[in-house]
Amino acid sequence: MNGIKEYITRDMIKWLRSPVSVVSMLAMPAAWLIFVGLALPVTFTGNYLDFIVPGILVMTMLSSSLNGGTLLMFDKILGFLNKFLALPTPRESILFGKILFITIRGAIQATIILVIGILIGATILPLAQYGMIYLILLLFGFLMSACATTIALYLGDHDSYSAFNTMISMPLFFTSSALMPYDVMPGWLSTIAHFNPLSYAIDAVRAAETGTIPLIQIGLLALLGGIVIAICMQMFRRVTV
Amino acid sequence: MNAIETHDLTKYYDKLCAVNHLTLSVDNEIFALLGPNGSGKTTTVMMLTTLLRPTEGSAAICGHDVVREGEAVRKRLSYVPQDMAVDIKLTGRENVLLFARLYGINNPKDKTDEVLGIMELSDRADDLIRTYSGGMRRRLELAQALVHEPEVLFLDEPTIGLDVAARKKIWEHIRQLRKNGMTIFVTTHYMDEADRFCDRVGIISHGKIAALGTPTALKAELEKDVVTAQVSVIPKGPVTIEGVRCVGQQGSEITFTAENGREAMPLIARALEGEGVTVTSLSMREPTLDDVFLHAVGTAEDAGAFDYQQFRTMLRRRK
Repeated sequence: MNGIKEYITRDMIKWLRSPVSVVSMLAMPAAWLIFVGLALPVTFTGNYLDFIVPGILVMTMLSSSLNGGTLLMFDKILGFLNKFLALPTPRESILFGKILFITIRGAIQATIILVIGILIGATILPLAQYGMIYLILLLFGFLMSACATTIALYLGDHDSYSAFNTMISMPLFFTSSALMPYDVMPGWLSTIAHFNPLSYAIDAVRAAETGTIPLIQIGLLALLGGIVIAICMQMFRRVTV
Repeated sequence: MNAIETHDLTKYYDKLCAVNHLTLSVDNEIFALLGPNGSGKTTTVMMLTTLLRPTEGSAAICGHDVVREGEAVRKRLSYVPQDMAVDIKLTGRENVLLFARLYGINNPKDKTDEVLGIMELSDRADDLIRTYSGGMRRRLELAQALVHEPEVLFLDEPTIGLDVAARKKIWEHIRQLRKNGMTIFVTTHYMDEADRFCDRVGIISHGKIAALGTPTALKAELEKDVVTAQVSVIPKGPVTIEGVRCVGQQGSEITFTAENGREAMPLIARALEGEGVTVTSLSMREPTLDDVFLHAVGTAEDAGAFDYQQFRTMLRRRK
């Protein structure tokens, strides 16, 4: 696989050896799931937990991706990137290894959130539907981790990036269809939510849960992902030559 | 065909010229590029390792052009940057194995064991790097660089921040590699190490080679004695004495070079006394590489007085 596997293995070992970061990244989505999913008195659905699970899964992917943006930036700051760039291994492998690792890590975390959801009462779905859900989550993960990596490379330092991360993550979540359906939202919020890429992923996961194949959303995510990865490769080449 | 060949290699960062028409050939030796901070050493290494694109001129590693044949060049070299980038959450073995796999060599596990053995890290191979000393981390980086048996090894400040024993060990390993036929290109600003361990040195100043040759030849070329005067107060203006050159001043010590030290000493004493400076002692010695360096790049003060703003620009661009 031209080094991609090795780069992923390296990041995976480093991640698994820091239990604090493994657990801390799960704390926020788990808290939402338990304290909001189980406690919020809503009238538009009988099982709010089932309604909120897709939003929380996508949120888990989002926060993993946004956190992962710093990985390549730190490799660059700490001198690892220069060592890797001086190897005969194709240089793009560094970038793709990173994006894939962040996405896989997000999917592992989403799985844990999914299991917690089921344990506290979310409905269990047929296997094929889970397959569709994972396809959507992975597509969304590619999109967001390429996005985060590009922005981190562009900003170049950790302080600016963490400020950006704090600024973007919550508003992105609240202006999506994660917490309520469009017809319950105020008109202005519904308009914003329709343009939020998080909503594409959340709506797609909800559609998959009802057994339909959300072709439009999957197409949109794939298209956006393709564009962002192209921009990301451009940014990577700019910082590496 | 030489292992490293550069012709008019030049790099501009915006308007700042970091490396200025550098022409060099290095083959089967330990070559040290010496120079003050910001003189263009790291920029040169980065161009030779295909991490930076030259603005003008050309360079080839084992006959392969660094711009057009990047991958062929990278197959033949190893690069250890000065940052000491090893994953502290990985063990020594995992760090080396990563590189063995990335280089795509056959039986990476055996090769990893072998290079860890060469670098005397076998018994600590399965400990996390977190527990390694600076010297061990540096040796681990050398082990990573050796897994694919490169023809050319680039080391940027290989002994920076290490204690005397660790430095000596690193140099012993480098000497051994050279004996086995490897070409080694190091940058350093430790003159004594360059003098003792390197076959040939190039002194670079403001991006240009100011002196080039074996340490012995460079010292002989100076053909001068070095006279050091200990003074009570620092003279206000420059001291001008015929036939004597003032090469530097550090604390209460002023250094001069002269064709004949014995004859120059009373002249120096008289000139200093004339400036109202009391000379507490005078001593004379053979030149060292330090003196060659100061002679080539200017006085100690000059070497330090580089344009800070321009240096920042360069660092930013280099990242």
